[in-house]
Amino acid sequence: MNLFKRAWWRLTGHPGKTLMLVGLFFVICTLVLSGFLIRSAAARAADGAKKSVGAVATMQLDVNALINSGKNNGTGPEGQRGGTIGSHGDLRRSLVNRICASSVVRRCNYTTDSGAFPTGSTKLYQPVPAPRGQDSRGTDLFKVDGIRDLKAVAAFRNGDATLVAGHGIGPHSKRDEIVIEERLAKRNGLKVGDTAKLKVGELPAPGQQADDREHAFKVVGIYRSGTADTGSYVPAMVDPANQIYATPDGASTLLGKGAGADGVLKQATFTLDDPKDLDRLKKDAEAAGADLEIFPLSINDKQYQTLVGPITKTADFATVTVWLVAVAGTVILALIVASNLRERRGELGILLSLGEKKPKLLGQHLVEVVACAVLAIGLAGVCSQFLSQAVGDRLLASEVSTANQAAANEAGRRDPSDPTGMAKKDQLEAKPIDAMDVRLGSADIAKVGITGLGIAALATCIPGARVLRLNPRDILTKGD
Amino acid sequence: MTTPLLALTDLTRTYSGGNRRRTVLKSVSYAFESGRMYAIVGPSGSGKTTLLSLASGLDSPTTGSVRFHGRDIAELGLGTYRNRHAATVFQSLNLLTYMNAVQNVTSAMEITGVRGVRRRERAHELLDLLGIEPADRTRRTLQLSGGQQQRVAIARALACEVDILFADEPTGSLDHETAAGIIEVFRKLAHDDGKCVIVVTHSKEVANACDEVLHLKRGKLVPQD
Repeated sequence: MNLFKRAWWRLTGHPGKTLMLVGLFFVICTLVLSGFLIRSAAARAADGAKKSVGAVATMQLDVNALINSGKNNGTGPEGQRGGTIGSHGDLRRSLVNRICASSVVRRCNYTTDSGAFPTGSTKLYQPVPAPRGQDSRGTDLFKVDGIRDLKAVAAFRNGDATLVAGHGIGPHSKRDEIVIEERLAKRNGLKVGDTAKLKVGELPAPGQQADDREHAFKVVGIYRSGTADTGSYVPAMVDPANQIYATPDGASTLLGKGAGADGVLKQATFTLDDPKDLDRLKKDAEAAGADLEIFPLSINDKQYQTLVGPITKTADFATVTVWLVAVAGTVILALIVASNLRERRGELGILLSLGEKKPKLLGQHLVEVVACAVLAIGLAGVCSQFLSQAVGDRLLASEVSTANQAAANEAGRRDPSDPTGMAKKDQLEAKPIDAMDVRLGSADIAKVGITGLGIAALATCIPGARVLRLNPRDILTKGD
Repeated sequence: MTTPLLALTDLTRTYSGGNRRRTVLKSVSYAFESGRMYAIVGPSGSGKTTLLSLASGLDSPTTGSVRFHGRDIAELGLGTYRNRHAATVFQSLNLLTYMNAVQNVTSAMEITGVRGVRRRERAHELLDLLGIEPADRTRRTLQLSGGQQQRVAIARALACEVDILFADEPTGSLDHETAAGIIEVFRKLAHDDGKCVIVVTHSKEVANACDEVLHLKRGKLVPQD
């Protein structure tokens, strides 16, 4: 008990030095705690982002892999010739549906890009005609997307497009169901339940006759696009009003291919909760019968990275700060304690001459430093939440600004991991997380407590080794 | 033949500094008894403080031994010896400056494990004996005069209730009257309480008050006639 009493007398006997030590510890602990708080806020934000956006894995044909495998000239399971690359290059809907059943898939979609020529009863929406003399035959057609689930289409998810009548396309929709845009419906006097007639949207090969057969589709839904008319001429197939959503089989029909229960898809996307689930998805896909050499699964977690990029960089900076402050703090405190020990040689000599044990002398120093540390940790707990919120917000704002600038520069460039742009299209437009929710919890206090006390112990024990080598005679006598 | 309280046997102390070696004490032997007060005198640099350091367990001899009740203090442990059997009053660096006079005394009693007394009361008794006014006892020691500090240091040494009291120039910073009072306290401690008091001094008055005066000259300890 004596050493505690002496430590207390010493601390209260030299209030200036005590305050200086508390102040120094306060700065160290506040910075360390702020770093911890920023890191945990970033981790929480990253978890939240992971849950909200997940990551999109894309499955599509790798033509080179197919050719290298030698399967490109084979026949399909039904014995049909599969075209130039063979039916082994067909991504089958039944396969994708099996993969969609994987427990790691939160949402899944697949698409068949297609087009359709207008007919006498179903005309294109063209508010501004093509300039005279311009050949628009190649673009005067509807753009048809064969989809599994209209709700999963990015434009509908992010609210750019809304269904205003009827219902959408779903996994159980019939082959001939379509959803059309409001302006197109008005132009053709179509309502939900009416029939629209469309022609195959493929131009005939040279020397061949065009497929003039008309295919009847039932309008099951009408949607409103968020993109208004431009007031000037745009090719019909890029006008949002001419975008038609059909089932994958319907889209195949308009490609001039036969529809069936196991239609051919162009690409499939699987939204995962976490990019780390890709390995599990691959296993499930292989179990479902997918040849991942020919149909590789690649992840596109760009949206997640966009969301968490700046906050992760801020957290990285905070981590570096924590380490720097902890190391620098230990060194500075060790120097201060060493200087204190030198200054207190006389005191140590007197205590040694009285027979006080050296470890107890060291213990007294430790108690003094720890007492200052505990006080500082308490104060840091009060202040660091505000500090870390302010500093974190500033750092994050700067990182977000940099990220936005980088995103603006990158806009328009093709993403090598998403050559068709489908995964990108399937994703919501992501904006980086620009707010930090700093929360002080008991775990953070415990962490800074352990760090602070660790620094105190190191800073005392390293220079304190000198105490153990002290010889009272050297201190107290002149040695004549 | 009885075992002396403290026996110095062939004590030699040599200091090394670079290539130089300096022998301060050469084969010093002497036996000190309980109930007596000794003065060690000698010119400056004769090795008085070195002798005191060795005898009080603050330092170890190069050769020879210091025996307390026949037992080598190196075996006993220098820390234990200082803690339980020997107390020293130094010329300077006497007090813990962040404590007041009472705290200095009670703190020493706690370290040396003095039991069976009310420490604060005993501290006040000793400070009273040494002429420290009650108002001064709760002042930080840095606020006391040199003489008062010296008397607090002596009170602290007395409070440890050890067998041997060493004092290095204990009256150096005291006026004549106070010094005489201190010497009287030391004499009573030796003669009434049976302690052994060993004082290193330049003062003839102090030396004259002691039972034995030992002269340290050229590294040898010789009783003065």
